[in-house]
Amino acid sequence: MDALATNLVTVVEGIAFGLLLFTLAVGLSLVFGMMDVLNLAHGTLYLVGAYAAYALSDGSWWGLALAVVVGTVAGAAGGGLLAGMTLPLSRRGHLDQALLTLGVAFIAAELFFEAFGHEVVPTAPPEALRGSVELFGRQYPVYRLVFIAVAAVLALAVYLVFERSTLGALVRATVADREMVHAMGVDTRKVLFGVFAVGAALAAIGGTLGAPLLAPGPGIDERVLVLSLVVVVIGGLGSVRGALLGGLLIGQVQTLGVSLLPDLAPFLLFGAMLVVLAIKPAGLVPAGGRR
Amino acid sequence: MQTPRHLTRARSRALPPLIACCGLALTLTACGGSSLGSEGSSDGDDGPVRIGLLVPQSGIYTSLGDDMKNAFEMYVDLNDGQLGGRDVEVILADEGETADSGQAGATKLIKSDDVHAVTGVVSSAVMNAIKDMVEDDGVPLVGSNASPTDLVDVDYIWRTSYVNDEPGIALGEHVANTVDGPVYLIAADYQAGKDEIEGFKETFLPAGGEVADEVYTPFPATTNFQPYLAQIQSSDAAAVFTFYAGGAAVDFVKQYDDYGLAGNIPLYAPGFLTEGGVLPAQGASAEGIFTSMNYSADLDTELNNEFASEYVERYDLEPTTYAMASYDAAAVLDQAIAAVDGDLTRDSINDAIAGLGEIDSPRGPWRFNDGGTPVQTWYLREVADVDGDLKNVAIGELGELGD
Repeated sequence: MDALATNLVTVVEGIAFGLLLFTLAVGLSLVFGMMDVLNLAHGTLYLVGAYAAYALSDGSWWGLALAVVVGTVAGAAGGGLLAGMTLPLSRRGHLDQALLTLGVAFIAAELFFEAFGHEVVPTAPPEALRGSVELFGRQYPVYRLVFIAVAAVLALAVYLVFERSTLGALVRATVADREMVHAMGVDTRKVLFGVFAVGAALAAIGGTLGAPLLAPGPGIDERVLVLSLVVVVIGGLGSVRGALLGGLLIGQVQTLGVSLLPDLAPFLLFGAMLVVLAIKPAGLVPAGGRR
Repeated sequence: MQTPRHLTRARSRALPPLIACCGLALTLTACGGSSLGSEGSSDGDDGPVRIGLLVPQSGIYTSLGDDMKNAFEMYVDLNDGQLGGRDVEVILADEGETADSGQAGATKLIKSDDVHAVTGVVSSAVMNAIKDMVEDDGVPLVGSNASPTDLVDVDYIWRTSYVNDEPGIALGEHVANTVDGPVYLIAADYQAGKDEIEGFKETFLPAGGEVADEVYTPFPATTNFQPYLAQIQSSDAAAVFTFYAGGAAVDFVKQYDDYGLAGNIPLYAPGFLTEGGVLPAQGASAEGIFTSMNYSADLDTELNNEFASEYVERYDLEPTTYAMASYDAAAVLDQAIAAVDGDLTRDSINDAIAGLGEIDSPRGPWRFNDGGTPVQTWYLREVADVDGDLKNVAIGELGELGD
């Protein structure tokens, strides 16, 4: 019973972490799937949101709201900027894009370093959400439960817009066959900019809300980037459902997996990716269409 | 000549901003200028003593490097810019965060700046990388932090800090006698983590201590400790001994509190868990953690009161063990240079260091043992709220180590 309770709490933790990964990975997945742009500055967008939370939250609801707004706007602006920078490179292959975005990530990391110092800066949630509640006989932080609820709503909203709305259909069509959409008279560049900005804003919101879970600091951008890439590879490029499934899977691998197989902890992340790729080389839920 | 360092720096983490880069290059050129082309001049000239200060000015160890630089400069400043009665020129080089960057900095100091002695060195990896060059060139290195357990049989490398496994050794017996039940061991999966756990077991097991489990967490990939903390809760552990430093220390301590372990399962650790900049980041979550260290900023001795208050006044920070060790490195060089009879050379300074007796320090008196590390008293500290500020408070002594 005790071992079961321990693992149930760990499963809940995995869901929180998995949903955080979803908000991070979905933008990367769509941008890669649509624009064919490998954005290695994606982890930087997480830091934009997380540092906004650190700088602006003062323990009140207003502080959190302000941080969410600032983080979202800054993230979207960053995404738009990255879209604009990578557009001229669209015919020059992945390497040039990767170099450009990696350079942006390095410069941003150094600026964050100058502005926020070299320590991890933990961010406290609003006063009302601090403390712990009892969950399966164990203490569990209230904020993480609230985070699960909020992130689940966010994931549902993204899913509905992407899969069920006309706008979503346009985006999906652009992922599937950009030339055809363009030929039908749609300015695909606007779609691309929009998706880049929205994806970046989601990563930044993930950063703002996720800062108490994964505190910003030097090197966190790389960690987030690697985790997001793994989620995208596992879930399948350009797919919202894939990002959600991949995020939740990696969330459990990184928590329940570590709890059950602590000795294998260093290998679990990439081991899981290897297994998925061996069984489904295109990822769990590949986007339909080209390739 | 600074190119290699910048290259490794760029490769290791991030591109330094142009301005800082130029500024550093200018500083280094200005500092090193006077000694250019003076190869071999460390053999008994009448100019200032040149001391190379090799500390991180970039990368994740920058805050440690700043502490060490501040304290060393403070000592020299309080001594009217002299060490051992000679004017001193402190030449700064960036250690960076990798063995490559540290080696580049050391090479510059030893080969082109032609320093009489080197001090600093935060990273054990750097210490191992520069060991052969330091020994072959016969440059006294008064290290003020890094001291891996396998650094033995050296003639020119001294350390004013402690050997890596000593914080664990210091705590083992105390925990075995204090805690009623098995102790859970959890540490970062790299050399320092393993050294500390081994050191702890070295004194903990013979004193009758019982281990609940021994777990190493991937580093630096682990930011979420919940799965490990859940295992600790479902074990029968009566206490936890851990080793983390830097960002991982902040995450671990906060989550130890978030998941309800703090206050229920006592936490013991080498002092880095709560030393310096990580403590304010941990906040109230750190309260009640027990650590072992060779220093505590609140030690009530005349020398420490002077040192700590002067340090706080200058830098508006509590002195850390890193700062204290660097201050002592300056004291060691001060006394050794004063003791040199005849020409001031690398070898005569090194011989003088070997001949030093007891050194009066903010941590209390200590002396070098045959291995070149301190024989010193260890303290048990507890994190407590002192007038609204969280501090490491010395609550007892853990005996003397290093003999």
